[in-house]
Amino acid sequence: MTDRHTPEKDSAEFAAEAGSLWRITFAPATWAGHFLLCYTLFATGCAKGWPVGTVRHGLIGMSVLALAVIALIGWRAYAQWSPRSTGRIVNPRGDAEDRHHFLGHAGFLLAVISFIGVVFVTLPLLLLEGCR
Amino acid sequence: MTETRATRSGIPAAEGTYPPTEAMLAEPVPAELQRAQAERLRAAWAAPKGWRYWSAVNNTEVGVWYCMTAFVFMLMAGIMALIIRLQLAVPENDLISADRFNQLFTMHGSAMMFLFSVPLFEAISILLLPGLLGARDMPFPRLSAYGYWCFLIGGVFVIGSIFFDVAPRSGWFMYPPLATKDEGMGSDIWLLGLSFIEVASIAAAVELIVGTLKCRPPGMRVNVMPLYAWYVLVVGGMILFAFPPLIAGDFLFELERSFDWPFFDPERGGDPMLWQHLFWIFGHPEVYIIFLPSIAIAAMIIPTVARRPIVGYSWIVLSAVGTGFLSFGLWVHHMFATGLPSISLGFFSAASEAVVIPTGIQLFAFLATLMLGKVRVTLPMLWITGALAIFTMGGLTGVMLALAPFDFQAHDSYFVVAHLHYTLFGGMIFPVVAGVYYFFPFFRKKLLSERLGRWSFWLTFSGFNLCFLPMHLTGLFGMPRRIYAYPAGLGWDGLNMISTVGAFVIAAGFAVLAWDIVRPKGRQPQIPRNPWDAGTLEWSHDVPGESWGVRSIPHVTTRYPLWDQPGMLARMDSGRYYLPDAEEGRRETLLTSVIDAEPVQVQRVTGPTWITHLAAFFTGGAFIFPTFHWYPPAIVSGILAVACIIWWLWRDTARPPEDETKDVGLGLRLPTYASGPASAGWWAIWITMLGDATAFASVIFGFFFYWTARPDFPPDGAAHADGTLVALACAGFALSWAMTIGARELNRRGAVGAARLGLGLGPLLAIAASAALLGSVWTLAPTSHVYPAILWAIAVWVVAHSIVAVIMQAYCLAGSIFGKLTPRYDADLWNSTLFWHFHALAALVACAVLGLAPRLL
Ligand code: HEM
Repeated sequence: MTDRHTPEKDSAEFAAEAGSLWRITFAPATWAGHFLLCYTLFATGCAKGWPVGTVRHGLIGMSVLALAVIALIGWRAYAQWSPRSTGRIVNPRGDAEDRHHFLGHAGFLLAVISFIGVVFVTLPLLLLEGCR
Repeated sequence: MTETRATRSGIPAAEGTYPPTEAMLAEPVPAELQRAQAERLRAAWAAPKGWRYWSAVNNTEVGVWYCMTAFVFMLMAGIMALIIRLQLAVPENDLISADRFNQLFTMHGSAMMFLFSVPLFEAISILLLPGLLGARDMPFPRLSAYGYWCFLIGGVFVIGSIFFDVAPRSGWFMYPPLATKDEGMGSDIWLLGLSFIEVASIAAAVELIVGTLKCRPPGMRVNVMPLYAWYVLVVGGMILFAFPPLIAGDFLFELERSFDWPFFDPERGGDPMLWQHLFWIFGHPEVYIIFLPSIAIAAMIIPTVARRPIVGYSWIVLSAVGTGFLSFGLWVHHMFATGLPSISLGFFSAASEAVVIPTGIQLFAFLATLMLGKVRVTLPMLWITGALAIFTMGGLTGVMLALAPFDFQAHDSYFVVAHLHYTLFGGMIFPVVAGVYYFFPFFRKKLLSERLGRWSFWLTFSGFNLCFLPMHLTGLFGMPRRIYAYPAGLGWDGLNMISTVGAFVIAAGFAVLAWDIVRPKGRQPQIPRNPWDAGTLEWSHDVPGESWGVRSIPHVTTRYPLWDQPGMLARMDSGRYYLPDAEEGRRETLLTSVIDAEPVQVQRVTGPTWITHLAAFFTGGAFIFPTFHWYPPAIVSGILAVACIIWWLWRDTARPPEDETKDVGLGLRLPTYASGPASAGWWAIWITMLGDATAFASVIFGFFFYWTARPDFPPDGAAHADGTLVALACAGFALSWAMTIGARELNRRGAVGAARLGLGLGPLLAIAASAALLGSVWTLAPTSHVYPAILWAIAVWVVAHSIVAVIMQAYCLAGSIFGKLTPRYDADLWNSTLFWHFHALAALVACAVLGLAPRLL
């Protein structure tokens, strides 16, 4: 098998896996964004005397949204990993197919972790109220 | 194939066969040729002899110096701990003064964290990574050497201060106002000395990340990378986002101490909480920066002792990445007792609990591997077992501390000291020592003693528990940390005595280890090449050692190539694989693509030099002179440092090659030059600039923090930055940026004259813009209130970066005129443009904050 390698091999690879790389980073990024939003909105709201109840409800809404987004990403990544259809849970081979499944697996697990992370951060929103 | 930018530049694409066929690999290399090739390679990579030895840049030399230096700093910090324990052994002791005591614990903590833990990870990685990846060396050997010399100078300076009784003494996290108001130069030494070292740490992190992304052997796709390499990526990334906020904090802090700009002084609108935020945005990830590399070491040792591949490869990778993310959510958990709204604390408490999950996953994967394998309890495994035991205990007390109500009780007591050391010893010291025993044959081609190793282990392990287990109780009985003497009869006396005895037992354990490492081993017989029967690539090393890294760079398609690709080792040795020769007598290594590791370029690697020493020396001057408030010599040093670096880059990097392509063996020809995203240098700039942008964002965060936290920000009727000048600066930076991009595109198309014009006008515009930016804040008095001070700080930051940006434009202009930079060979221009993207963005944000924000808020 001969094929031409260009110095832009990198761009070609990134183009091929753009979807998976996007999924891998997006779930934790959603967690981080949600976390920062909760923290900054509450801190600013309390400092500047905004109606805290509204902020709280808004943020709970944001949590639901974040969870939905992460669940979607996780589901797509699971499809890419496809442990059921290929019957293989681990992907240790050095070929393009295993690399593709591996990135799916990676995206899926990160989505799970991010999901739990968002749930944890939401708990104080549900359990505590007010600025004290 | 569509025409892309790089092909348009005329640099030929790689051509030939890839991947190699089995038939090609099976063909033997003639013995005569093998010998001649090995001879040439050896000559090209030989480390210099005699006193010139110290000019070496090979990762095998620099890595060893780096490790040994970090180890010596650790021993010194350990001796400080012993003195602390002696002082606390009995009540009302007067062995040392209170001031000495403060210096000692501050220095003990700072040195352990900044001079030992983080540098040691980088040191070990520099030493190990090329071996793991079957690479010749790191992509930028001189950068590692420069980083090392910076670390040495900075470390000696910081730790040496204790001998002159001027060491910092406000605790390792330097809370203002204690530290801002502290007389003497201790705090300055901490701020400037450690900033210097942090810069070197970031440089090493960049190098390690680029090494992992671009220097893997052909075929080693992301899903077969050794786990250690994954951890290098995660930890490198964390360093890149965690250290910059601290550097930004240091920057503001030092401005307050040197010029009285009141960032942390509440009387003039400042706020000490800003330091705590910036410090802990760094501080908590720091704990994981210390602790993940140890897991990485465990992840290399455990499959070897279990004699089977690791269980749950992807789970481990993902837990590492997940830990990296979550750990940034933890920063406020160190400030539970500071009176933030309880719901905010709730968020952080939640994040603290969440991070336990990925940590647990990694530990379970290790246990599963051990249970499914046939375990041999080797010495490294013994240390790993000790680590697991201690760390689990530390984790349990950690969960207790993360529960906010308990923290109010235990805050600042010896309970915290005990917890801290359980996590640090279990999560760092024990695994690292395991790594020392495991990798020592790879580093030094000798084995450490089994018997001494067991002695060392049992001494350290029992001493550790003797010292720190009682401290939990001492803490619960109410003994606060950081006190230099205590009255008798509070139930603390006996416990403290036990702790002190334990500390000396630990010291004995370390003494045995140190002796084992340094004792002469000349008469030891030659060791087997793969003493642990491991499966990863570093054990293809040569015994006795060779400095070429690998004889030829293999084609790797499995996670444990030495187990799964039989015959590979013999082929590597015979030079059957890539780059088996150094025909021109120059050092070279292979660059591969980021995801699939397909070979894309042959890169020239720089050799021994003294310029790195000079550059490090002057950089040191630029950081160290200001601690004595000697600003003119500091500025001269800074200029000389920049001159050295320019000289080094100009002479030896990105020179147009003699031949455009080169035969790398196995029927493949690769280009010898690349610019833009295909080159390693471009990635290095991109990664560095991410860190730089984080630091800038932290300064901007400061601005908005004051706005939320202080009712008088901006104060009523305060003077603002001059709007017209800010607008002018904004336009100037944007135009200069456009000139740089234009020059790159024109140069590519062969319009060299026009490109030079752009590169000539660009600096003028940038200088004018910088002048306008400074002018806009010139009339504000930064000492009067934090509002003008932060505007000044932002302006100073942007102007300092403009200096670098202008130098880059001028460098490219000179390159174009003197034939270093041509339409075809334009890597410098790509790199400068990339810098400018970041710089222009930062400048525009700065202009918006200076010009618009005060009018909108
Ligand atoms: C021989 C082993 C060690 C002993 C006997 C020891 C002892 C101590 C003691 C007694 C303190 C509390 C000082 C005080 O609050 O008054 C302390 C603080 C500390 N130790 Fe250690 N230590 C040892 C090793 C380590 C190691 C290996 C690390 C890190 C990798 C470390 C990091 C720290 C830090 C960060 C502090 C806090 C300093 C501060 O309060 O500013 N120690 N150590």
